Amino acid sequence: MTTETLWTLATVLVFPGGLFALVLGLALKGVERRAIARLQRRIGPPLVQPFYDLLKLMRKRTLIPDTANAFVFLAVPVAGLASMAVAAGMIPIAGFFEPSPLLGNLVVLFYLISIPAVSLMLAGSASGSPYGAIGFSREMAIVLAYEGPILLSLVSVALYAGALTGQPVLLNLTEIVRYQQQHGAFLFDPWMWPALLTYLCFIPANLGIAPFDIPEAESEILEGPLVEYSGPPLGLMKMMSVTKAVVVLGLGIALFFPNGPAGLAGLLVFIIKCLVLVLAVSLLKAAVGRMRIDQAVLFYLKWPELLGFAGLALAIARF
Amino acid sequence: MDFLSKAARKSPWLYRINAGSCNGCDVELATTACIPRYDVERLGCQYCGSPKHADIVLITGPLTARVKDKVLRVYDEIPDPKVTVAIGVCPISGGVFRESYAIEGPIDRYLPVDVNVPGCPPRPQAIIEGIAKAIEIWAKRA
Ligand code: SF4
Repeated sequence: MTTETLWTLATVLVFPGGLFALVLGLALKGVERRAIARLQRRIGPPLVQPFYDLLKLMRKRTLIPDTANAFVFLAVPVAGLASMAVAAGMIPIAGFFEPSPLLGNLVVLFYLISIPAVSLMLAGSASGSPYGAIGFSREMAIVLAYEGPILLSLVSVALYAGALTGQPVLLNLTEIVRYQQQHGAFLFDPWMWPALLTYLCFIPANLGIAPFDIPEAESEILEGPLVEYSGPPLGLMKMMSVTKAVVVLGLGIALFFPNGPAGLAGLLVFIIKCLVLVLAVSLLKAAVGRMRIDQAVLFYLKWPELLGFAGLALAIARF
Repeated sequence: MDFLSKAARKSPWLYRINAGSCNGCDVELATTACIPRYDVERLGCQYCGSPKHADIVLITGPLTARVKDKVLRVYDEIPDPKVTVAIGVCPISGGVFRESYAIEGPIDRYLPVDVNVPGCPPRPQAIIEGIAKAIEIWAKRA
């Protein structure tokens, strides 16, 4: 193996993928739970609670239902977590980390981001539980609804950045970040606001946050796809979802507001941006109830889709 | 390893089984989770939807004949190690439903009960104390 391959592997397994994303994700989850408790005037769990939960799950017994397809049931959490580790390795942190070009570009990242949703669907249908099946169908519906807007948002950024740098389309995330470092963030560019809003709409649906936590509604369908999971596989599922939070927030930061100082301070700025986003998300989660699946699908097919097309039109108009 | 097991004991997840309760106890359980004044989440607890995620199971109600088989089945789905807490007087004595033809309880004829929180319904403070006791027992078992 060449050093480049080894280095790529390290970015996927240790920093910023794998270990780092997992620890950051768990810490953000702790902040989120605490923030929600405070918003509801409760004391809330300690900040390290998600770490305790994960350790506990790793020591519990694994139950596999008779009706489940055992191989798919156990393989799916591993696949989901692995895809998220790779995706986290592809997120640039301005001034601190540039992902290896071996891992691929924005298109690959887009596909990787949809793998956890596919994992949840497979998990739900492989578990052989009716609640899992309902979770599966809801997850499928909401994925179909938000996949369009997010694709439009990513394409708008790629086209816009391409137009500004004189290429047809710029799919390299590192270069998008570098351009914004030199010429100012897209966050402050009104031409990009529709795309930004579309991305912001996509975050709660993808992370399963109220009002769009419909596939995993624990008070209606007992956490849907996760209903039959227990012990370490459930732990892997939780690890997947916290890493996904880091990937989705990190991608948003890289696309729209990556600016930060060089060196370790850049990493710190990145973490602070994640924290701000998580606090905003907690506010949303504490403030609203859950939508019905048909309302959520209609919502995504209407407003974010419309915003996405507006963003695309603006990006094309820039040529 | 000792440190790890200590940390793991700080995350007891709760699961509720309604064994034919009048819902009084269930409402009091909901207050321990939803009302700012009584917050079980600060003990690291979390109410979970699926029995397979649970560590501590809270049973309310006198175990009616209709619901008995279902309760036992759900109870079996909870992975070990688990701790059982009977909430209210119903599971232990039948409470106001005592000597009814429709009652199969007391519940400890079928399930091992570790902690009982008496009251009809018990106060939220008492329920939280019961949960705290259950956590101690669970820490020894885990
Ligand atoms: S103990 Fe009292 S409040 Fe609780 S379920 Fe029985 S009758 Fe209802």
